Amino acid sequence: MENDETKGAEVTIRLGAAAGDGIQSAGEMMMKVLARSGLYISTYNGNQSLIRGGHVWFHIHAGTRKVYSLGYGIDFLVPLTQLAFDQHFESVNTGGAVIYDPSIVKPHDLQQGVRGIPVPLGEIALKYDKRPIMKNTVALGALTSNLGVKFEVLADAITDQFGRKNPGVAESNIKAAREGYDLVKNLGAQSFELKYDYSCTKPVLTADYAFALGAVNAGCRFYAAYPMSPASPIVHWMASHAKQLGLTVFLGEDEISVINATIGASYAGARAMCGTSGGGFALMQEAVGEAAMTETPVVVVDVMRAGPSTGLPTKTSQGDLNMMLGISQDDFPRIILAPRDSADSFYTAGRAFNLAERYQVPAIILLDFAIGDGGYSTVEGLDPSFTVDRGKVVSVPSPGAVSGGWFRRFALTDDNISPRSFPGTPDLMFVAKTDEHDEWGHDLSDVNSGLKEFLPLRVKMHEKRMKKLESIKKELRLPEIFGPTGADITIVTWGSSANPAREAVQRLRMQGVSVNSLEFTDLYPLNESEIKRILQVPGKKVALEANYTGQFETLLKRETGIIMDAHIRKYDGEPIYPSEVEKGVLSLRKEVHAVV
Amino acid sequence: MRLSDLKEFESDTRPDWCPGCGDFGVLAALKDALVKSGKKPHEVAVVSGIGCSSNLPGYIRTYGFHGLHGRPVPVAVGIKNANPSLTVIATAGDGDEYGIGFNHVVHAARRNDDIKLIVMNNEIYGLTTGQLSPTSKLGQKTKTSPDGSIIYPLQPLPTILGAGGTFIARTFSGDPKHMSWVIQEAIKHRGFALIDAISPCVTWYNIYDEVKKLFYRIEDRGYKITDQQAAFNAMNDPQGIPTGIFYRTEEKQSFQEKLAEINGGKAPAESVQTLDRNVALQLIQEFA
Ligand SMILES: Cc1ncc(C[n+]2csc(CCOP(=O)(O)OP(=O)(O)O)c2C)c(N)n1
Ligand code: SF4
Ligand SMILES: [Mg+2]
Repeated sequence: MENDETKGAEVTIRLGAAAGDGIQSAGEMMMKVLARSGLYISTYNGNQSLIRGGHVWFHIHAGTRKVYSLGYGIDFLVPLTQLAFDQHFESVNTGGAVIYDPSIVKPHDLQQGVRGIPVPLGEIALKYDKRPIMKNTVALGALTSNLGVKFEVLADAITDQFGRKNPGVAESNIKAAREGYDLVKNLGAQSFELKYDYSCTKPVLTADYAFALGAVNAGCRFYAAYPMSPASPIVHWMASHAKQLGLTVFLGEDEISVINATIGASYAGARAMCGTSGGGFALMQEAVGEAAMTETPVVVVDVMRAGPSTGLPTKTSQGDLNMMLGISQDDFPRIILAPRDSADSFYTAGRAFNLAERYQVPAIILLDFAIGDGGYSTVEGLDPSFTVDRGKVVSVPSPGAVSGGWFRRFALTDDNISPRSFPGTPDLMFVAKTDEHDEWGHDLSDVNSGLKEFLPLRVKMHEKRMKKLESIKKELRLPEIFGPTGADITIVTWGSSANPAREAVQRLRMQGVSVNSLEFTDLYPLNESEIKRILQVPGKKVALEANYTGQFETLLKRETGIIMDAHIRKYDGEPIYPSEVEKGVLSLRKEVHAVV
Repeated sequence: MRLSDLKEFESDTRPDWCPGCGDFGVLAALKDALVKSGKKPHEVAVVSGIGCSSNLPGYIRTYGFHGLHGRPVPVAVGIKNANPSLTVIATAGDGDEYGIGFNHVVHAARRNDDIKLIVMNNEIYGLTTGQLSPTSKLGQKTKTSPDGSIIYPLQPLPTILGAGGTFIARTFSGDPKHMSWVIQEAIKHRGFALIDAISPCVTWYNIYDEVKKLFYRIEDRGYKITDQQAAFNAMNDPQGIPTGIFYRTEEKQSFQEKLAEINGGKAPAESVQTLDRNVALQLIQEFA
């Protein structure tokens, strides 16, 4: 609970339970309640890789101004199990509260200034349904009441959740919620009230959904996947909109088939995309090289989770960058983009398709669990205006474009981009070759390989592909500064690590610390000279990322020679918290001052 | 057939196969079948993997995709899904399709993808200079089995029949007319066709004489396509090498027909456009 002029008022809520208790849907309902009360939202889904039991939680950070990450601590903890209480009670802020069912949770060791609000959640729930799962809804009623949000907003969210399929279920849930709501009201236990605006309808979505939407908006009508957390929301969204939007959704037998089918679809003229997480991407690698060698554009999304191997399927990480830099054998061009949040993700999808098609290269998108699966954030004024740019697609032969019956599909040109034709087009036949080939797609790998008259051609074909990187890097987005330019300390982030850094920067600045952050979204190819210029800051630079080796920090050093003064790295699978960034920056500041 | 039609499919590239390689016969039969099926070169996509046999796309003038070892089937499926009006033919070796890429064959068969798969089966890995393949015989001597193979060979035809295959045939490159007929029938077929094309490798494992002696056309012996059981029986002949169309059903919809019921027949290759602005805004608003 914070209330200050620069940041507005805000609140953090955490619901905890066992898997199967419906905590994710309860969290999403609560998120909707707050969003429909005019607040900005950022959430995190503390999921476990199981269907029943264990401990799962859902965290909501909401504010009257834009929020980016998880905020600081917990203002309202709603533990539906003892384990949920034990796991989280220490993070409850002074002035915060714990709403619990005294028959289930013993709220031991509550800190001073933290209120316990006992509500017989289970007992109330059982009045309306034989299954105790409805205690979630009672808790949401109590919570909504505590926040001073009017009940109708919750009732609406409940109807949305259950109503359409099952009006009876919605009705009894609303009654149960009402009882929780009134009970807290009668207790006089309302803690505080933010300024609510009930006329507001800002959408709240995850980066996965935003990417799916952005892709379809950019002309993608082919999506292939094999189920893998945390990328599955993309295929779920695509499948549930396939009829309405005329989408072809292909659930392949494995990730190898998925990417090869995507390449086939793109070769045939579609805007085609596939998605997976790190393990699935590892299986796709050979085919990413195939796309690059045949100069077939593809967009591949990797929603990262913590590894290696199966790792932590429902936990977050930014550990796949090195894999993307070193995908499969030998050198080939690729584009690597890492959007920060949902809005970014939406626009990045369109950019990725235009770049991939114009340069006829694979474009890799790195999302992660923190923003991809349970990481909802508010988007405002998303603009679907978009221009499809397919690059050099030809449908009639130009002079010199055909000889020996074959289209000069891989022509050496001034800009290293060759004209492309789609199957079905008369007179422009060619063979897309994964073997090294000449301008017409004839093999350079068999009868001509190694012959001295053909060596220069191999060099030219290889260079033609690689040199596209020079043009691409000039088009990619440069890092953006959050906060004022010029600071004693600059936090260097990429992708989703921008979000906790933003909240830390805001808070540190209020404490008088001179700090800003520099957010990279377009990771490869890097525009070295521009980036060197931008990173010539007088202050200290600290790299922030969620992996062990500092993969982006290493890339920056490799490509630009720039060395960070310090770094903050996290790899326990949990999201980066703003407080951790704050602590890291403060300790660096001490160092800075000690040296001075 | 007009010779001029056949010429349209001629490539300027001479096959680099060893003289006498069975793959020459498959190439000729494929061209013949395409002409007789009334196809134009630009309406056809030939997709291959890696192996001697997989070099085929460069030798026939159609659209071609010479992809990765084992992966022509998913590439072909992607092409067909994106543009169902194309005739999509996958051509590859026994290592490619019955070894590294067999998983895809099983699933294409069960989905009944409308692609035609011609496996040039020489019971050996040709391009990599003669190692054991999944269809190599028990006791077969190769570079990796100098004392004779100790592995039982895969039976691809009954396996794919069991997986739900809707068109299952075997033919022999030494019987070009039959091969062309089988390919033509496959092109007409509603869905996935597996054609096991015996195509001897004269360099590493020459089974030419053996096949010539043992093969026969089931059609010549009065075989009529009925049910799966009859097909299983016809495939299984320890004494000879039966060729022909063992099984065929036009009852099952192809995967692409089913897809069209969902996507309204909107081919992804023909729908590359932005969403209507109002539709896009409404989709975003679903999250409010
Ligand atoms: C992933 C991968 N593994 C191995 C190879 C090497 N390789 C090339 S062709 C081939 C086998 C070819 O045998 P087959 O498919 O039967 O074709 P044939 O040469 O007999 O026509 C292998 C193993 C490769 N290219 N890619
Ligand atoms: S090695 Fe065998 S399969 Fe390869 S081209 Fe020669 S004969 Fe044909
Ligand atoms: Mg072989």
